[in-house]
Amino acid sequence: MLELNNQYTVMKRQVHAEVLKAFFAGTLEQEVDALPIKIIPKARIANRCCIYKERAMVRYRIMALMGINIETEDDELKSLSSYVREVMEKDKHVAPILTTISTACSSCPPDRYLISEACRGCFARPCLANCPKDCITFSNGQAHIDDARCIRCGKCKEVCPFHAVVHIPVPCEEACPVNAVKKNEEGYVEIDYQKCISCGRCAMSCPFGAIVERSGVMPVVKMLKAQEHVTALIAPAIEGQFPGTLAQIKQALLATGFSSVIEVSQGAETTSLHEAHELSERKSEGKGYMTTSCCPAYMELVDKHLPFLGERRSSALSPMGYAALEAKKANPQTKTVFIGPCLAKRVEAAKLKTIDGVLTFSELASLFIAKGVDVREMEKADLGKTESFEDCREFALSGGVASCVLSRYAKADEVSVLPINGIDKKMFRTMKIWDKRQPEADLIEVMCCEGGCINGPGVVVKPSVALKLRGGNKAAAPVKAMRSIVGARE
Amino acid sequence: MGKKERVSVKICVGTACFVQGGADLLLYNEFLDPVVLGGCDIEGVSCLGGCKDPNAKDRPPYVQIGGVIHGDMTQEKLCKLLAEAVHA
Repeated sequence: MLELNNQYTVMKRQVHAEVLKAFFAGTLEQEVDALPIKIIPKARIANRCCIYKERAMVRYRIMALMGINIETEDDELKSLSSYVREVMEKDKHVAPILTTISTACSSCPPDRYLISEACRGCFARPCLANCPKDCITFSNGQAHIDDARCIRCGKCKEVCPFHAVVHIPVPCEEACPVNAVKKNEEGYVEIDYQKCISCGRCAMSCPFGAIVERSGVMPVVKMLKAQEHVTALIAPAIEGQFPGTLAQIKQALLATGFSSVIEVSQGAETTSLHEAHELSERKSEGKGYMTTSCCPAYMELVDKHLPFLGERRSSALSPMGYAALEAKKANPQTKTVFIGPCLAKRVEAAKLKTIDGVLTFSELASLFIAKGVDVREMEKADLGKTESFEDCREFALSGGVASCVLSRYAKADEVSVLPINGIDKKMFRTMKIWDKRQPEADLIEVMCCEGGCINGPGVVVKPSVALKLRGGNKAAAPVKAMRSIVGARE
Repeated sequence: MGKKERVSVKICVGTACFVQGGADLLLYNEFLDPVVLGGCDIEGVSCLGGCKDPNAKDRPPYVQIGGVIHGDMTQEKLCKLLAEAVHA
């Protein structure tokens, strides 16, 4: 996965902040066609071939922020302002969440292993000895790989004492756990939406920014500008995403125009209780293992690829689902906006009638910048009574969900837990065989992103920074949560 | 030789700086040379105002080192500037 701190992230956030600034100033329609030129000025040293291509890419990023499906709706003769006009009148349809920009795609060559100049042509030649396909030959004192015969097993890379073998991947294809990302005949990226589980890994991996999220930000800022009653449902992962405490983040949301704020951890408590109850029922009836159901990318994975796991999933709503019910109970007229690190959450939200909008943390950050809201400058808002669900803020970390369920389970020491910490290609293959060989666990906690939601595609900071800032700026408690799981397994 | 004065370092954690890479600077315990770290007083501070200047040549994140504000800060640049400041 691409390191979060990179030029593309910075550019994307700058584009988002500029668009939202113009939106709240009421000048977006007039200004939008000039934005690519403003953001990429003549004097810029281009990272792509030239500033004109960079400007074209800014145009596409703005379209993605508007929620436009670039694959189907891109019309180069149409001005950005006419797109803006359309979006102001009518919200775009949500699915599919991802879209590709074929002109941004570098059409990377197929993945390959290459022996670099670092090869010393050694005597032992472990590459030659360990290649299962005999595709390594020696000439001019160095090893070479016959690409036609190579099966990309990577054995030679593992055994080379000089690290002379490099693997050159196709980042998007490699990142997709379900092989939904492929290149078309021209070599440009394409997503098979029948297979795609909206996890967002491809978008996080492409170093050219050719796979983008169709943002859900416009419907939300329209609600805020119209001064509707909007309730922000903040995901447990939000703590640590901004420089300040949870109480300050809440105040910042109120200052941005949200009418009230509910911690989704509150809903997570209901989810934990429900799952603990369900687990005890399943155990007493000898029904075998149960999986958690809060990760929406996992829910998509089951629906599209692993239908046999359908009956294994807990029937609990996700924390977002319960938190939305709370919000609508408190005020039936309110509009609910989930704010989290997740792209797949928008797929789940589109199925629920109780969610009216979804933002990522990254989009919220741009919203804060556009509104001039500084989280650190905020007073502390009253978080209300949080004692009963404080531990559920750990839902954001791998191991956290299971530990919350267990702490609400009477005989926790009888339960064995298996945390699935991230779903990559290999994990997907492992899960496929659960059909034939049942995993040895009572409770399987599934998180699609490594480390948990704090490593989701919509985060502001990388997990190491987030962990530092969580738990009132003390070191956070994931270690503790993991320990309880290890303890439970023994 | 008198004791050297410690270098005052203020990392801006205003939203704009924090979001555009400033957050990574908070991992200073991990990326700074321990000797340099020992010679600095590092703190996160509210907006230094760098981003509010419409004529600014550089962009967030900003860091103030011994009274001077530097923009476009990265971990590498901070290492270099602080090493210079401490060993000066």
